[in-house]
Amino acid sequence: MTQLQEPVQQDAVPAPETTAGRGRRYWFLKAFATAGPLPFLLLLLVVGVTLVNPVFLSSSNLSSVATQSVYLLLVSLAQMLILVTGGFDLSVGANVALTSVTSALVMQSVYGGVDEYSGIALIWGLVVALLVGLVVGLVNGIGVAVLKVNAFIVTLASMGIFTGVTMLVSGGSEVSGLPRVFTHEVGSGRVFGVVPVPLLMILPVIFLLYVLLRRMKYGKSLFAIGSNELAARVAGTRVGTNLVMAYVLGGVVTAYAGWLLTARVSSGQPQLGAELAMQSITAAIIGGASLLGGRGSVGGTVLGVLFIVGLTNGMNLMRMDSNQQNIALGLALVLSVLVSRARDRARREVAVMELDQGATPPAAGPVGSLPEQRNPLAPPS
Amino acid sequence: MTATVPTVSLQEISKRFGPTLALDAVSLDLLPGEVHVLLGENGAGKSTLVKTLLGTYHPDSGQILIRGREVAHHNPGVARDEGINVVLQDFSLAPTLSVLDNLFLGRQPLRRRLIDTAAMREAAERTRELVGGTFSLNAEVGALPRSEQQLVEIMKAVMGKPGALILDEPTAALSEKEAERLFGIVDRLVHQGWAILYITHRMAEIRRLGTRVTVMRDGRRTGTHLVSAVTDDELVREMIGRDITAVYPHKADPRHLGPTVLRLTDVSSANGKVRDVSLHVRSGEIVGIAGLVGAGKGDVARVLSGLEHTTSGEVEVLEYRTSRPQIRKMLAAGVGFMPEDRKRESLALQLTTADNINLEASSSKAHGRFGFLHRGQLREAAISMIRRLDVRPADPQQEVGLLSGGNQQKVVLGRALTRPRKVFVVAEPTAGVDVGSRQQIYEELRRLCDDGVGVLVVSSDLEEIVGLSDRVYVMHSGAVCAELVGDEISDEAVIAAAFGHGADEPTARVQEAV
Repeated sequence: MTQLQEPVQQDAVPAPETTAGRGRRYWFLKAFATAGPLPFLLLLLVVGVTLVNPVFLSSSNLSSVATQSVYLLLVSLAQMLILVTGGFDLSVGANVALTSVTSALVMQSVYGGVDEYSGIALIWGLVVALLVGLVVGLVNGIGVAVLKVNAFIVTLASMGIFTGVTMLVSGGSEVSGLPRVFTHEVGSGRVFGVVPVPLLMILPVIFLLYVLLRRMKYGKSLFAIGSNELAARVAGTRVGTNLVMAYVLGGVVTAYAGWLLTARVSSGQPQLGAELAMQSITAAIIGGASLLGGRGSVGGTVLGVLFIVGLTNGMNLMRMDSNQQNIALGLALVLSVLVSRARDRARREVAVMELDQGATPPAAGPVGSLPEQRNPLAPPS
Repeated sequence: MTATVPTVSLQEISKRFGPTLALDAVSLDLLPGEVHVLLGENGAGKSTLVKTLLGTYHPDSGQILIRGREVAHHNPGVARDEGINVVLQDFSLAPTLSVLDNLFLGRQPLRRRLIDTAAMREAAERTRELVGGTFSLNAEVGALPRSEQQLVEIMKAVMGKPGALILDEPTAALSEKEAERLFGIVDRLVHQGWAILYITHRMAEIRRLGTRVTVMRDGRRTGTHLVSAVTDDELVREMIGRDITAVYPHKADPRHLGPTVLRLTDVSSANGKVRDVSLHVRSGEIVGIAGLVGAGKGDVARVLSGLEHTTSGEVEVLEYRTSRPQIRKMLAAGVGFMPEDRKRESLALQLTTADNINLEASSSKAHGRFGFLHRGQLREAAISMIRRLDVRPADPQQEVGLLSGGNQQKVVLGRALTRPRKVFVVAEPTAGVDVGSRQQIYEELRRLCDDGVGVLVVSSDLEEIVGLSDRVYVMHSGAVCAELVGDEISDEAVIAAAFGHGADEPTARVQEAV
């Protein structure tokens, strides 16, 4: 631990800036506090890996990085949503496996080898998948918000339950015989030869989640619940209902990922997504979410997923074996937590600097991003 | 403006909790444009009154009128809609959200079903100006200093139409300059027609801000006065005015005191709250430390228990001398502690009464060998301690978190008593403790003294300081500013010293450099 802490402290206190005056230091801290380290780290990753192996930036490799990211991204967004509320969801992998098997069974029987029924099979598969996600989310949400059991326990239990159900439904074997449209177009199709179809299929979800969290009352209430539940309650938020809805939404988004992943692997697989719980938590945390709740963003999670998938891809290109890769990912997670602590410090420092800047008369200094001071109010009547 | 209609009017409000009558037919008017000071000791019913105003508590009898109309079912939602808000000492802010998001929590203006950030920002900037804040609206609230968080909380309360604003000891944690800024805000709000209910213990603030003052004692209103028509002495008398000797045990005979068991010489703390404090405690006496909130009295106890570091000075316990007290060494030297915040600093709430009482004993060598504990012995010890202190229920297997405040405090005391002590350092021993348990705790402390222990009591409860102590140090701004012995100890004398000068002296706070 002590060894790891060193680089962070350097991060938090940028020594070279002192000579350049407070302006420079302010902007550095402000950038760090606002955007976090990820944009910089991603750039570093891209440059570093490309120098070792230029294949990294080829369109085929980038396209495959994008495809690999899609599924983890969806699940990580769902995970982030739950983290924001102060909970977390260990059952995402079980959710994916269950949706994969059930939707595949439905598609298989509707399709029955007849190409005319491909479209309808696809739709039924999706509907069933989303329904399964809804049920999983409802179970988790009721456990957390109504029965008020800790999210760790609830989702650990539901992970076990739904894994069991998956095995019962599938008998432990793969479900194949899916429509060709599904496996070839939805799974690994390309538009204009480069843009992966799955990527296009998740863009609306990303957009909706972004709007939800940034511009809708409901999204803001989730942050408030995760940050200070009492404050949210006092402000009139329906905490229980909103929490259940968050788990349901997370469950549905995860189920959508399960359906897409089924297309990718061309069959319903009961073992699908086992590693997703840990990976999605890692990605969301690296992307700025906090286990303590109240933090997280769509943009950060996208970058976090890109970082993880990019790092894995880069390590593959550099011919590192899976053991080395696991070590690297573990270190990345620990480091990200330490960096987020430094980021908290930067936030405080920036806030105090802005206080002092705001205290000077508006005309005196270039306040830049600060909202302008208005004229004093007219004396009250 | 119909200036005569009170913004809120409580009429003959009574509220009972079990056997205690928390509010006994209390009436209170809050007029628009006035600062109404609420004065009363801890437990006088102030917070029950506030919660009734906010609709958190439903009165057993009496009426609530808002802007002249009777409210049948007052609740927090009604209070919010009518602009009745409170700024407590613990803020109800979401620390990871921005100032802007906190201000509009649950009431964001919408445009085409999406949050209208521009409108939010405009309204927030106007309010920020009203309170004179200089922080960025995008700053995360948790990143701001406490004094600014208070401003955000005030902004949150005054966003809507003018109503009633309750400020609960708002200057408790503020510096002189910050307090002055707050007074300015209160003035401006009053001009805008807000009715302010201002809870404070500081006489100077009553003079600076107050229009009227209502004094409460034991759940009753003892009087409402125009601030200009009442003296501080009268207010203090109304606030205390009861026979307090009954609760307290006899005092020590000054001729039979033993040697000095605890001595602090010019001690200053790293956080700056304790400045060059020298004091001593002799065997057989109870020494009180009094002072206003923030005067540094609690920090003296924290210094002694090693929770706050010293920068200079020396602490002496019998033969043990140190410039840097550490908890283990202080315990070994014979000091027992009862910390200020029993839930955070002393009790393991999920463990049983017996386990909590034995927490220290089980880390000593008395009850076990080679790291193993003698369970039977420990159990016996716990049971006898429960009996001695009359902990209720007298069940050693009871989970401590479920006990009442008074009984929890007895458990804390019981633990301190499991080892022989020469000195006790006790902080706020009866905060949130009922009168019955209080009396038992006082008696136990006095019995210890009679057995030759020296007790140092830090307390915000004036009555307790006066009733219990043989000698009192009064602190002001981190330094000891007065020492009172025997008959010199009176409410008036302690208050006068705590304000840094005389109780009638409005500019008491100015006298910083003692």
